[in-house]
Amino acid sequence: MLYIGIDLGTSRSVVSASNGNRKWVESYVGWPKDFVAKKMLGKRVLFGSEALEHRLALNLSRPLQNGVLKEGTEQDEAAVEELIGHLIELADVGTDSEICVAVGVPAEALKVNKIAIKNAISSHAKKLMVVSEPFSVAYGLGALDNTMIIDIGAGTVDFCIMHGTVPLEEDQRSILTAGDYIDEQLLRLLSEKHPEADFSLNMVRKYKEKHGFVGDPKRRVKIDAPVDGKFTEFDITEEMRRACESTMPAIVETVIDLIAGFDPEFQESVRKNIIIAGGGSQLSGLENYLTEATKQFEPCTFTCISDPLYAGADGALELATDMPEEFLEKL
Amino acid sequence: MHKSTSTKNKVLRGVYEDNAGIPRTDFGKRRPSNPKQQHAKGHKAIVIVLLGLLSVFGINVRLTLDDSRGPVAMPAQNAISPSHLTNPLFISQEVWDGHLENDPTAITAPAYMPGNDIVTVGDYDAMLTGLDMPMADLFDLKIGTIVIDPGHGGIDPGAMGHQGLKEKDISLDIARKLQDKLTRTGRYRVLLTRDEDRKVYLKERVAFAKDNNADLFISIHANALPTEASSLNYVETYYFGPYSDKRTLEIAEKENHDSDYAIGDFRKIIAKIGDTMKTEESKDLANAIHRKLYSGLKSHNQDLTDAGSKTGPFVVLLGVEVPSVLVEVSCISNMAEETRLSKPEYRDDIADFLKTGILDYLDQREHRSPREGGQINYVFKQEK
Repeated sequence: MLYIGIDLGTSRSVVSASNGNRKWVESYVGWPKDFVAKKMLGKRVLFGSEALEHRLALNLSRPLQNGVLKEGTEQDEAAVEELIGHLIELADVGTDSEICVAVGVPAEALKVNKIAIKNAISSHAKKLMVVSEPFSVAYGLGALDNTMIIDIGAGTVDFCIMHGTVPLEEDQRSILTAGDYIDEQLLRLLSEKHPEADFSLNMVRKYKEKHGFVGDPKRRVKIDAPVDGKFTEFDITEEMRRACESTMPAIVETVIDLIAGFDPEFQESVRKNIIIAGGGSQLSGLENYLTEATKQFEPCTFTCISDPLYAGADGALELATDMPEEFLEKL
Repeated sequence: MHKSTSTKNKVLRGVYEDNAGIPRTDFGKRRPSNPKQQHAKGHKAIVIVLLGLLSVFGINVRLTLDDSRGPVAMPAQNAISPSHLTNPLFISQEVWDGHLENDPTAITAPAYMPGNDIVTVGDYDAMLTGLDMPMADLFDLKIGTIVIDPGHGGIDPGAMGHQGLKEKDISLDIARKLQDKLTRTGRYRVLLTRDEDRKVYLKERVAFAKDNNADLFISIHANALPTEASSLNYVETYYFGPYSDKRTLEIAEKENHDSDYAIGDFRKIIAKIGDTMKTEESKDLANAIHRKLYSGLKSHNQDLTDAGSKTGPFVVLLGVEVPSVLVEVSCISNMAEETRLSKPEYRDDIADFLKTGILDYLDQREHRSPREGGQINYVFKQEK
């Protein structure tokens, strides 16, 4: 039996398999628009950066935009199915291996699209389970009790309090001011301040991934952007800070609110065990910023995980591996 | 971190149960829910369960609506225990009489009363229209996506001020600011029907809301009055319905210009006029927005006239299938107001008042109690 853990994210999807393979791909799926495009590209379907590169010739889908499959969007459902198939291929499954797949998805998608996602996986694997991304991260870290996981993704920030069981709906929360929102804010701020320069969403996303920070800057953020075709240096420190910090108030508010709904006896333990995962955990200064911001309520301790890219897929893999055979048989 | 074997086993069982569709039995360390909310949910649930039972058993049952005697004094809650449900489709006389209040095994249910006027179950529209709670509450409907519609755009400038300020620019800027403010709450997906200066037909605006599964729709406009009335400054908020005065009709005619609907389309959407839920929610939304907008703007302009929150026959509001309002945020024909509108800070204030109104409405939805005006009471009777 080959066990596979998948983290199906808005921005990136990651696979981690029991044969040691670990791969990731940007969550884009594209089908050639017509027979000319199909002939030129030589493929039925393209994924990730290759799909982005040829986007003009493709019907492109980013299926979990905003952290959820839009109701009735067949193209997005088909994209999830293709993406899961592609990730399983990347795991390098032998032709006759039996596989068991655990998939972590954004918390909101688990609520709204669980059946659609299970259907999409079932065409590739008979033994399957779907869980929320923050839960799979928690499982992988062994953080199963009195811990809050904050998974800062591109489409959503997912919150989940672990209390020794699979989290209930009221233990989980999702907000939409996540990575994509930072990109939009940064693009708007830069376009307003430097109307002469050409910025795109893709460009500002790369700036954020390289230089994103909250709180006091450790160094000035300087980038090169084209002005009338010629690259010019800009200092975007202040715009970067404002864009990244624009997501913080909603995160702080949600943390405080979720903890307040928890059993009072265990609130203190949760406050001291808040783990931040997802791509957004890479924002420089994040732990200190959130610790300072929550001081005015009850002090909280935040810790960013060391391997945010693979934490979700690794956790899902561990879940699939640990699942007792008698349960797997019935799934 | 360390995980104990028993915790791990419990979690693995939970994942299995979740994925196998088995009801959960372990709820960990959650605080008990607010008993008041539980009680309200119980009320909603039992109405739905009873309606479900009726249709599942396929028995021809009648709903009896008592309006002949006016409101009837009843105990606040009646109770039905499983032992009283020997025939689950019939609620006995002792239940009407409220004799079961002290039964510890009782489950709560709304009060039902016998009466004279008969409607069939299939015609449950009538019941929903007279329900003592908003229909959106009955079905526990959530708001996820808010669509903001900046009026006019492109070759259609909308109203113009004496100094050249255009309605299309004002509405777009306020809409963008409002989008930003609402998005920052982290609770809603907020979309604009146009994010640039381009012409968008009313039909396209409606389609945009539909395609994006909008749950709320807010159309932003600015008023313009004839020259002889240019000293006036109005603020008013509309939801779909018949016009109440001639001026409303004139405004609707202006805003409906270039609707791009064919007569055939219009016939289809006009059939939706009786959408009770949309109307009651739109009214609440319009009232909440208008209250905040007027009181906020009054601090900038003491002469501001409150034209109220009211109904008007606006095509864009009719086509959208969810709670929807059209806000005339200001009068661009008033010169002092036009000067204020030209300042970004003032437009930011307007967006802020709109945001507060919308959030007030959403907050009220979460905490509101049953509508005033007494209970409408129903009885289920088995038809021979």
